[in-house]
This record gives sequence, structure tokens and C-alpha cells, in this order.
Amino acid sequence: MKILRLTFIALGIFAMVSCTKYPPTSSRLLEDLAVLTQYDVNTNFGLYKTYSIVDTVYYITDKGTQKIISANTKIIINQIIADMNARGFKQVAKSAKPDLGINVSAIKTTTTVYYPGWYWGYPGYYPPDWWGYNGYYYPYYPTYYTSYSAGTLVIEMVNFKNITPAGDLPVVWDAIIRGLVTDTHTTTDVTNSIDQCFTQTPSIKTSL
Amino acid sequence: MKKTFIILMIGLLFTGTVSAQDQGTKPTFGYKPSSYYSFGWNTLWTIGDFNKWVGNGSPAGFNLGGRYFIPGTNFAAGFNIQWQRVWQDYPQQTFYGDNGVALTAMNYRFTWMVPFQAAIDYYFIPSKMISPYISLGIGGDYMEHHLLIQDLDIYKTRWDFSLTPEIGVLIKFGAFSNFGANIAFNYKWTTNQIDFSGNSLKNLQMLQLRVGLCYILR
Repeated sequence: MKILRLTFIALGIFAMVSCTKYPPTSSRLLEDLAVLTQYDVNTNFGLYKTYSIVDTVYYITDKGTQKIISANTKIIINQIIADMNARGFKQVAKSAKPDLGINVSAIKTTTTVYYPGWYWGYPGYYPPDWWGYNGYYYPYYPTYYTSYSAGTLVIEMVNFKNITPAGDLPVVWDAIIRGLVTDTHTTTDVTNSIDQCFTQTPSIKTSL
Repeated sequence: MKKTFIILMIGLLFTGTVSAQDQGTKPTFGYKPSSYYSFGWNTLWTIGDFNKWVGNGSPAGFNLGGRYFIPGTNFAAGFNIQWQRVWQDYPQQTFYGDNGVALTAMNYRFTWMVPFQAAIDYYFIPSKMISPYISLGIGGDYMEHHLLIQDLDIYKTRWDFSLTPEIGVLIKFGAFSNFGANIAFNYKWTTNQIDFSGNSLKNLQMLQLRVGLCYILR
């Protein structure tokens, strides 16, 4: 009888312990790379041919923006160039008045609320007139994470051919690769995830 | 000889009868309960459309039940309350949303369900030590279907109708014991459905195995 009582109690404890609604999620859920992209569905990328890209990655930290020049950032920039060229676009210098411009940033700071563009007003962020214009705007309502980890890579494409009268540049595509700029990922991870940004946005292709 | 005796005793236990011709009676090891309460461990396997959502079976579940024997019959009526969770993680997949949004990430899916059912059982030999039965449960299932992608938790909740035919056996631990065990296997059909990314998985179905302990009242 005592054994039965103990069995009942053990069963009860087991049930209570396993009673959580949420399963024990794998840590991989947050550690794995995630690629989020969004493009302006009203932009016809086929009408554009040339683009310019920043020469390195801008690291956004709690103390401002740092320009990073390293082997890894070179890999990132070169992979974006390779993907753009594969879609038929042609890289030109900023002075050649390209159709499109590409910014690449990495988030080092941690915060609880993130939405694309929040860092435009972030202290120390590189000036919004970096391309020679007043600032940026999203022609679409951007999808956002409620929080994000350090090491998120942000790629933004601006359209120089559709500037507002106030001088603002529309961001016609943004790609967020969560967790990429850390020391835990291989070069293959980096190139594959940048490839994925383009793969899941087939609209980015020139017809010219 | 000893081996034969042991086999014979096991056989008697399973049939629940003993020959007592010398007394002209046919007593049993069992008794017909007036009611019993059970607490069981439940394992679930998804089938049909439900299996497309989560392919894994899950042992994370338990069941609380009660049965009251209708006097003069082999029927018992009662209830089942259950708690169950099924889950599975999937490697990187791409999801497409509105307004040009696309997301590629590992995703984690789970369904949490709390069914409440009324049940009617028919016991073929209720007074025996081992008493097989058939049962039909009818009730409502509360379900939450969650899709976890990174820190995003996209979920939908539903209340729906469910139907559960079951076969099982009630085992008494002794002629004078109030404790017993319950082993049951059932199929559940629900009107519950899962709607994500424009896909609708309807009429969720599952198979369940329950093993539990019972407190039996005479």
C-alpha cells in the first residue's frame, strides 16, 4: 500500500513538473541564424542597373558607430557584391550617381525593442546624410523583432531615383541576419546567409 | 509441476475466476466497483493532417478521470480531463508574409491541448480482476497552436468538438484492494484546425495510449 501511495505521489509530481505549457525550447532556436527580409512591393527593381555599396561594415554600439575593417567584413561586402552582380546589377562608385545604394551595419548593442531604422537617430550613428541626403524613410511598414541579439547584420538598399521632395531616401529593401556578426559562425555561414537574403527576395533583379 | 502451477495461477489471475466446485459456488477474485478515479500518463501520436504540423509523438501528458457504474448494468458514465503537449523543431524553413516579408529560420512548433470529455463505458466483465471495456468520449478540446521562430511566438487558440472511441482494461490489484490500473488506447477526432501561412489543417486526429493508476470504490 505504501508503494502504491508513493507511486501516486511520484506520478503526480511528474505530471506537475511536466505541466508547463511551453516545451523546453532548444537554445538553437535563438542561436541559429535567422534571415528576415522585406522589400517595397511598389518598387520595380528591374528598372535599375547600377548600385554603390559602402566599403565596410558600420558597427553600431552603445558608444556610437565604429567603422570595422576586417577580413570578415570584407567577406560580407564581397558576398553582397557577388549577389547583386549575379542579379545583373553593376557596381559603380558613389560619384557615378548610382540608381541604388547599399548600407551594411552590424548591431553590437543590445536593446529590447528593435525596428528597422531605430538607429537612424541613435547617438553616434553615422550621419543620415551619408549619401548626401537628408535621411531615410521606409515606404512600407517595416517588420520588426521585439528584441534582438548582438551581432545582427543589417543590409539596407536605398533608391536614389525616387527621392522625396524633402530629400529623404526610400529604403526599398532591408535584410536582417540575426546573430551573424559573432565569432561563432563560419565563413560559409556568412556567405550562405547573405545568399539567402537574395534568394528569398527574387524581385531584386534588373531587366536592363 | 511447480512451473505448471505458476502458469495455472497466472491464468487464473487473468481470467479472474477460480473453480470451487466443492462448495457449489463460483466466487471471483474481483468485485464490481461502484466507481473509480484514475490518474494516468498519456502518450499521443499525431495522425492525418495533425501529423503534418507536428510529426513526433509525445509522452508529455496526463489524464484525470472518474467513472460511476450505473447500478444493474455494465455501463459506467464519467469524465476525462487531460493535459497534453506535442512539439517538434524543424530546421531552417522560409516563410513568406504580406508586404514583401520573408523569414528564414529554424522553427519550433507545439500544440498544447486540454480536452474535457464526458464518457460512457461498457464493461464486459466488470466484477473480474481484469475487466476489458469499450468507451466513447464526447466533449470539447481547448487547443493552442504555437509557431516559435526566434523570439517570435505566433499562436492561435481554439475550442472545438471532439469524439474519442476507446478500448481499455481496468485491472484490480487484488480482491480486497482499492487500487488498480487502467490501460487504454484511443483514437480522437476533433473539429479543431490549424491555420498558418494560408494553410489550413482540418479535423485534427490522434492516437493515444494511457497507462494509469486507479482508486476503486466498491
